Amino acid sequence: MTSISSDSLIRLQLPSAGQAPRAPVHLMPCEIEHNGPARITEYFSATVKDCKHEQTVSFRGRGLKGQEVNCPQGYTGLILKEVNRPGSEEEDRTVRVSSVFDKLTYWNLETPPSSDDTIVMAMDWPDLAEAVSADITKGNLKKILSTNQIIATLFYYRYMDP
Amino acid sequence: MDLGPFEVNNSVSCRLSSQIPSLCLEQDCCLGIDEAGRGPVLGPMVYGICFCPVSKKENLKEMKVADSKTLTEAERENLFEKLDEAKSFIGWALQILSPNTISTSMLQRSKYNLNALSHDTAIGLVQFALDSGVQIFVDTVGPAEKYEEKLSKLFPGITVTVRPKADSLFPVVSAASICAKVARDRVVKGWNFAEELGEVDTDYGSGYPNDPKTKAWLLKYLDPVFGYPQFVRFSWSTAQTLMENKSAAVHW
Repeated sequence: MTSISSDSLIRLQLPSAGQAPRAPVHLMPCEIEHNGPARITEYFSATVKDCKHEQTVSFRGRGLKGQEVNCPQGYTGLILKEVNRPGSEEEDRTVRVSSVFDKLTYWNLETPPSSDDTIVMAMDWPDLAEAVSADITKGNLKKILSTNQIIATLFYYRYMDP
Repeated sequence: MDLGPFEVNNSVSCRLSSQIPSLCLEQDCCLGIDEAGRGPVLGPMVYGICFCPVSKKENLKEMKVADSKTLTEAERENLFEKLDEAKSFIGWALQILSPNTISTSMLQRSKYNLNALSHDTAIGLVQFALDSGVQIFVDTVGPAEKYEEKLSKLFPGITVTVRPKADSLFPVVSAASICAKVARDRVVKGWNFAEELGEVDTDYGSGYPNDPKTKAWLLKYLDPVFGYPQFVRFSWSTAQTLMENKSAAVHW
């Protein structure tokens, strides 16, 4: 349960284990003023070209380059749908999980996605946050250092730099 | 003309060519360039080159090639077969610019307009002929003097003639225009939609924006989210106006 203002609550209805269907998710580099169904399979997925590690497609005549991005380990992506739109801002709101995802396809306009892109970096954040706030013992330091270069670099600055 | 290599992936640009006649490697050749399908909102734009030894110019003339626009589709098909059969001295090459290539180029962040795309395509084809060892000697074609200068600079040693209506003045240009137009028509006729749209109505008319059949087709196949299949040139104002009025707005 999360509150957005002091007066109203948003309730999240969790599905029972394994009930919510897995859905392919595309993160587009544009805002589409449309809320509702879209013929993704017919128009989009059918025209995606896979070339080595890069995917290409076009949307509305513009070239996109994409990459699959995994959700951080231990995390699940949720697609939420509001059950009933409240009439006023004071009313409580209820959203249910309509589907789940553990990866998404991240699309960039013309340029290939890179590790400098915020969405790609964001996926590293949980690991990073955990590492930063972890209690340091000789044993787990070695383990943490070996898992990720970014974390290792950060640790170096935090603990090793004189 | 085997369109197979293009049809495998009709969202990109593709080059098709005849065998290079050995005579063209030994003798000075004239080379003509022309395009087909520049104006339509549907389908590819095709650039064609045709070349033959200067010594065989009369043979080409005798084949009664003429500007493809003055010929019927049947006459063009017929003439293309004749050109293709004259393998011993006539060579051709085509660059099919898919509608998706046209859309994504023209809508690119650093604008790449149709003229630049056209010039680069023509230049690419001349370079292809040179790289294949064809001894180009005389005329090529396009719209203006600046272009003539550009080509002359790029290909020193080749006399370049850029002339309006060249497709009717020079048989070798007529031949190129026939190759390009035949390819464009065949591609449009047999367009293989990459989208999974089931049976698609192929009664799209000429593809020119003012053709009532084309207009009706564009209205019928407008999707509120995706706009159009890749068969449509998204950069054409006809398509853009229809999407603005009837599809979801998209902000980049």
